[in-house]
Amino acid sequence: MKILKIAIPLLLTVCVATAAEFEVVQKGKLFEPTAIDAKVGDVIKFKNADPFAHNAFSEDGENEFDIGMQAPGEDYTITLKAAGTINVECAIHPSMQLKITVN
Amino acid sequence: MKKSILLGVATACALNATVVSEISSMDDISKSGWVFVSSVSQDTTKIVQEVKQEKEVKPAPTKEFSDEAKKWLRLAPVPAPSNNKVTPQRIELGKFLYFDTRLSIDDTVSCATCHNPDMGWSDQQTKAVGVGGAVGPRNSPTIINSAYQYHQFWDGRVRTLEDQALGPIEADVEMNLSLDVLIPKLKGIGEYVTLFEKAYPGEGITEDTLARAIASFERTVVSTEAPFDKFIKGDKLAISTVAQEGFELFKAKGHCTDCHDGFNFSDGSFHNLGLGDGDEGRVKVRRGVTKLFGAMKTPTLRDVTKSWPYFHDGSVKTLHEATAICGNGGRFADAKGLSSFIVDRGLTPKEIDKIVEFMKTLEGEPMKLTIPTVFPK
Repeated sequence: MKILKIAIPLLLTVCVATAAEFEVVQKGKLFEPTAIDAKVGDVIKFKNADPFAHNAFSEDGENEFDIGMQAPGEDYTITLKAAGTINVECAIHPSMQLKITVN
Repeated sequence: MKKSILLGVATACALNATVVSEISSMDDISKSGWVFVSSVSQDTTKIVQEVKQEKEVKPAPTKEFSDEAKKWLRLAPVPAPSNNKVTPQRIELGKFLYFDTRLSIDDTVSCATCHNPDMGWSDQQTKAVGVGGAVGPRNSPTIINSAYQYHQFWDGRVRTLEDQALGPIEADVEMNLSLDVLIPKLKGIGEYVTLFEKAYPGEGITEDTLARAIASFERTVVSTEAPFDKFIKGDKLAISTVAQEGFELFKAKGHCTDCHDGFNFSDGSFHNLGLGDGDEGRVKVRRGVTKLFGAMKTPTLRDVTKSWPYFHDGSVKTLHEATAICGNGGRFADAKGLSSFIVDRGLTPKEIDKIVEFMKTLEGEPMKLTIPTVFPK
């Protein structure tokens, strides 16, 4: 029982620690970086550093998402739900492309 | 309507003709009843080589151009998807299909009706006109350099030329012919069966090969060298001093490059110019992005002198007026969804004239193209 009291919190700490956060900056009508290798459960944070609105969306299977309109200075986060390749684009500025490989 | 009838007459005549009748301007059409035909054979090998460069051949050296020049020149090969690489057979087939009015319900309208090579690959109409004189909701955009675009149509509702090709065929205000009818129709034309087999061996005539063939031809519609290109490569006499001043205004005070950037003079992005016509534009495609209300794709400025009238509603006939709207705060400053790039820059009429003089230098040499007048039987 004493072992469980130590093991369970330790196990939970390890699980939480493996979920990484990646910051994607939207500036100059570009995503930076343009490619990310991540794992299921990782978080992607989109940060609008331009003086005009942006967006980020993907239509790829279980990782489909659309953050809607993102005003200048706003952040949005998404969590990666499934393994696979996610092609992310800005609905306003299609030159903004990001590829996320989820393992 | 008149143009559709003329095209239909021309096609009917063409089926019995073996000699190309050359017309030098649209004025001649009323005299002869023939569709405009450009002279000289299409140089398809150049386009095929450009696409092949992506995989097999190193790109042409660009060291001789400055970084500034490289930004404005069409140096990148024409993109093509891996399942539809450009070949002369696919281009030939696609060209027949593109100009063939039998792809419409009453055999009067083809892709070329609205995207006419003699009219900057547009139609010089306010809105597109389809079978029976049906008027569409938007102006016909040029297809020049569309292979380089991220999305197709004013609202960017599809990505590739393949995705775009079949929509107008079935649209009731355009060619109004169901693919369920067209595919068997094409299968009944023996020479099309042969052409499809040459272009797509073993795949037959399907919606997929039809779309891919039309897209293959559209991929060849790219901008040719314009006086501006010669200027940017170093020939300072290629454009007038006024046009050069216009280019500087275009980049600086006018902020035109906020949207009209790069060799194609388009960022491929979506903006609302405050025209106030109520067209929802791209927001109908991406509902959650309210900023996209009324936003339309930035068109290319290559050959812009030929593709009037301007904007998605075709409401503007002159480049001067178009520049004034874009550069001085839009048509309606309080329009819903007005782009943050559309700001009153305080351009004077004289400055606008200079910008227009610059845009005239983007008109390239005529594309070498032989338009079919005898179609597959």
